[in-house]
Amino acid sequence: MSRHWHPPRRSGRPLAALDHLAGALALLVLAACTSAPQAPPAPPVSDRIVLLPQAGGGPSALEISTATGQRLRLDQPYASAELRGGSLLAVASDAAAVQARYGSLLAQQPARPRSFILPFETNTTRLGPAAAPVLAEVRAALALLPAAELIVTGHTDSVGSVESNDRVSLARAEAVRELLVSAGVDRAMVSVVGRGKRELLVPTADGVAEARNRRVEIKIR
Amino acid sequence: MLAVPLWRAPPPPRQMPTFADTMPSTFSRSALALVAWLGLAGPALTQPATAGAPAATPAALATPATNPADPPAGIVKRSQGEVSLERAGQRLPVAAGTVVRVSDTLRTGPASSLGLTLRDDTLLTLGPDAELALSSFAFDASSQDGNLLASLWRGSLHLVTGLIAKKTPERVKVQTRTVVLGARGTEFIVETLASGTTP
Repeated sequence: MSRHWHPPRRSGRPLAALDHLAGALALLVLAACTSAPQAPPAPPVSDRIVLLPQAGGGPSALEISTATGQRLRLDQPYASAELRGGSLLAVASDAAAVQARYGSLLAQQPARPRSFILPFETNTTRLGPAAAPVLAEVRAALALLPAAELIVTGHTDSVGSVESNDRVSLARAEAVRELLVSAGVDRAMVSVVGRGKRELLVPTADGVAEARNRRVEIKIR
Repeated sequence: MLAVPLWRAPPPPRQMPTFADTMPSTFSRSALALVAWLGLAGPALTQPATAGAPAATPAALATPATNPADPPAGIVKRSQGEVSLERAGQRLPVAAGTVVRVSDTLRTGPASSLGLTLRDDTLLTLGPDAELALSSFAFDASSQDGNLLASLWRGSLHLVTGLIAKKTPERVKVQTRTVVLGARGTEFIVETLASGTTP
């Protein structure tokens, strides 16, 4: 063994100096990418949160709080946060990164609920003539759903009390259920709801006989 | 708008009672405490929405997990690989069409996934090696009042909020061991990597 220390030789690699240069550059780039000058061994991520865009394009937000009282609000599509060693930090993300990391999760989502509106003849539980093609569409869509459910919701206009409208709207929904069952839909798949005058399609003052508000919605999911 | 005091009375998520792990004698008390803790009003719970279901009585409401007459909280729409459901200490198989009830815990194995639709249209998708407890859920289809607390103990969850979040967003929460998420009418992913046993 030599008494003197020699720097390690890289025989046969005349461009070794360039390797060092590249290494130094890589370190510089890494340093530039790190937003805060932290000690190298960062604590592991315990939680990741990503806000996704709203399907309808409307505004949405997510409020995150930790057990130690930190809070963070995400309100832009793909805004993300990580909890690292107990610290909640906003991190950069985008559609491509989300797809890469969570694509298979996103692909397993249940079908989004889908709604169909059946118009009713005024003051009756009889369907209008426009109902038949809508019902055909419902049956076609239903055939594609695993463990399908139908939620039939009756609505009224704003004439009358909450109680009487709840009754009428439920009766409308039940009439549609019978129609669906007689058309071959399994009764066990259908639930009925009376929403009364709580959800007017056409907003009116109370006590207004608006035909478009007397309707039944069939939601399938 | 009134904020739901999730953090005002703050038992840390780690200490959340999961019903399956609780002895029967303390079960009702835990359920009531949870309901009280979430600041839930009575009316949200009083009206069963599904036709044909008998009217729920207050006694029935105290033990939501064990009353088969309650309308289901949700229905499994997609199940892939190794998926199971734990209810009151019993492990049940899961397939498309399986009914999910309040306080059920769902688990997925490696390369497995689960898609679940709750009664208020909330969509939940679980990735592989995940564990999710439906800690609290109530929904009145007529008034659209209700609440949801989903506890993700392992793995990743994709959630699309439903009708409850539309009406009362402050009553829809997802928690992990370390964070609580309040949805404001939206779609998001949460993944929890913290190791540890189920609280």
